[in-house]
Amino acid sequence: MSGLVAIEQEIDSLLLQPPYGVDPEQRRTSLLALLKKELAYACERSPRFRNYVEQWPTDFRVAESISDLPYLPVGVFKANPPLTLTGSDQVKRTLTSSATTGQIPSRVVLDAATARRMAKGVTTIIRDFIGPARRPYLVIDTSQNLASQAEVGARGAAIQALRAFATEVVCCLRSGQNGDFSIDLNTLLACAGKWKHSDILVYGFTYIIWTQLVQPLRREGITLDIPNVHVLHSGGWKRLTEQSVTRDAFIGGVASIFGCSADRVVDYYGMVENVGVIYPDCAHGNKHVPAFADIIVRNPLTLAPVEPGQRGIIQVCSVLPTSFPGFLLLTEDMAEVIDYDGCPCGRRGISFRFAGRVPKAEVRGCGNLGNTRHHQLQGVGVA
Amino acid sequence: MMYRIQAIDSSQDITCAARRLQQLSREKPLATQLILDIFDQWAAALDDRGLRDIPGLTFLRLWLRRGNLEPIVLRELGPSALNGGWREDGRARLRAFPLGVVGHWPAGNVEIQPLLSLTCALLGGNCCLVRVPSRLVPITERVMEKLHKVDSNGSLSERIFMASFNHSRTDLHEAMAKTVDGAMIWGGADAVAQVRALPFPHWTRVLVFGPRLSAAAMDAETWGDRTDRFSWCRRIARDVWQFDQQACSSPQALFLERGAGCDPGQFVEDLKQAFQEENRHHPRQQIEPALTSAISLARASWLLGNDANRALFPASPDWTILLGTATEMPNPTQGRTLSVLVVDDLLKVISSFDGTLQTLGLGIKDAGKEEMLAIAAGRSGVDRIVKLGRMHVFSSPWDGTELIRPMVRFVRHVPSED
Repeated sequence: MSGLVAIEQEIDSLLLQPPYGVDPEQRRTSLLALLKKELAYACERSPRFRNYVEQWPTDFRVAESISDLPYLPVGVFKANPPLTLTGSDQVKRTLTSSATTGQIPSRVVLDAATARRMAKGVTTIIRDFIGPARRPYLVIDTSQNLASQAEVGARGAAIQALRAFATEVVCCLRSGQNGDFSIDLNTLLACAGKWKHSDILVYGFTYIIWTQLVQPLRREGITLDIPNVHVLHSGGWKRLTEQSVTRDAFIGGVASIFGCSADRVVDYYGMVENVGVIYPDCAHGNKHVPAFADIIVRNPLTLAPVEPGQRGIIQVCSVLPTSFPGFLLLTEDMAEVIDYDGCPCGRRGISFRFAGRVPKAEVRGCGNLGNTRHHQLQGVGVA
Repeated sequence: MMYRIQAIDSSQDITCAARRLQQLSREKPLATQLILDIFDQWAAALDDRGLRDIPGLTFLRLWLRRGNLEPIVLRELGPSALNGGWREDGRARLRAFPLGVVGHWPAGNVEIQPLLSLTCALLGGNCCLVRVPSRLVPITERVMEKLHKVDSNGSLSERIFMASFNHSRTDLHEAMAKTVDGAMIWGGADAVAQVRALPFPHWTRVLVFGPRLSAAAMDAETWGDRTDRFSWCRRIARDVWQFDQQACSSPQALFLERGAGCDPGQFVEDLKQAFQEENRHHPRQQIEPALTSAISLARASWLLGNDANRALFPASPDWTILLGTATEMPNPTQGRTLSVLVVDDLLKVISSFDGTLQTLGLGIKDAGKEEMLAIAAGRSGVDRIVKLGRMHVFSSPWDGTELIRPMVRFVRHVPSED
């Protein structure tokens, strides 16, 4: 356990640093050393994880860069029971991803220390974008997602992560009888009147903000007139893209409903497996990594890091989790590297732009089996 | 002038082409000998440095040779087929006649498949309407260019109409289906189901080469023999590399029968070397990011699933060897990911196959044992049992069915006068 204590102290000291002010080389050196210790710790805790790491083509102990360290594909967190480095008695919460119909959600377990660092990580990042002050927090979702539960979904986790900035929390959607939801206009207008001149924090999933707030209010010709708002949103663009809603149309729509400038609408990328790290857009439309994390964008053909201007698969790196092996994860998302330093916004280190999910492979060819004969027969109760 | 596959946008174009082909097949029969001659010349013309980058071209050249095709014609259509005559059948006579126009829906993963498919129908005297998947258009054009050169008077070329159109154009697929007397359909589960559902006339004979998996198996006497082991590994690597392991005949798993004193760890080290060698000669030029993700997940799931499992792989997604134990076919990952599974009894494993398996590549020292395994494989639905290294060699029968005979009609003539 003494190894873990030392690791935790190092993580805490990284969390105290200015999130985007550290020289990239210096940051990578300190992250590399800490990630190696975390990998060694995870190998001690999990024989299966050790088996994976030991058969990685290079020995992590002699790796000279973070990109050489063994990483896991996020898909492994769809296993049940979830991959863990902690005893079940230590598990405080389980986070689940928002899987679409028919998909298996990812599940990651948090002990108290990881949960605390998760909250601290998000707070540190968001503070850099909206300032440290507490303010009223308007949630474009239902109050069910505020409840403290043992198992929390992606939406609940995102909503709760911002509570540290809240003086009061109001949820402006109400649940219907069929599991659908709709805008609670009275509550929303009351908040708008009360908070007209205040700094306000608003959060919602991107498609929920569009379908449950922007579209209904537009139809009614209602605007809220809260110019000092910061609207944070996440959860991806897939559903809006399907409806041909562009990024600019979304930002313009949200800004016009709140009566704020477009730069107050901030999209961020994140995933439950990458606990405590989110990637908001800066004023130049780029995403950045904080001092306690890193991003590697890998060429799908070689899995080597790409050059600026190139696209690849995102690998997220974070020192925050110690309750599950989520330090180095190959995601199923794509990004373009803008540069490895020097974003005009002043934030140091890599800047990148999200470029969508890894496209599903086109099912092609005579080796693509829909089903085996045994499975087919089992499906109709014959075998 | 370069050979160009027509980009089709109207069902009218397909109907017109089919009508012309229909007329040709009735009015201008082509002698099998002439077809074989042209194919033989085509094979020679394909021996061109400029075409060597086409995957499977060497095989296509061998396939087209008279020495290869003539025995297939004789076996499937009978000895009189070469000169187009009747053969005696008791008091009656039999003679093969073409169906007419055969439509071809080849899969998009095997570069030479449109060509292999049409040669089968042409040998039966048919005319061919071929839908070429968009990815294969440039390659198919380059190969067809050579046919046009050797077939200077167009006697064979005029019997082929190649069309390219988006796979989602149901109207064009339907137009094609309505005009054909025979159909040869190749591909994955979804593609096959969609084509089969097209409105073929009731007389259309439909031949389906649907999705299958393949595996390899070796006895301990073979894989444990250090002298020959590396050459076997090279054969396996060749089978894995061709068609990027996406073909129905690509091995997804290799079953190794356990043997005293034989170390699977040493075997996979040799296999790793063979994979590295093959990768140097045939490096991947591109990959779909989803396949990279699938390969990464297969590696991790295998090693995290059981701490006794082993895996060998480079930092890139170029190839993967997963070593462990299992008695069933694993779910295929493709992308040059081979599961090497140590088993106690090959016979037991092979007997458990369920008809999904198309080809079984074997490396077995004892002929008696191989005979036993071949019978068990046949009973369990395997259609092809071949030596390792020859798993993709396209030959008749394929998927348990002949290639020329299903696209001809055998006309029975009982003379009216005794």
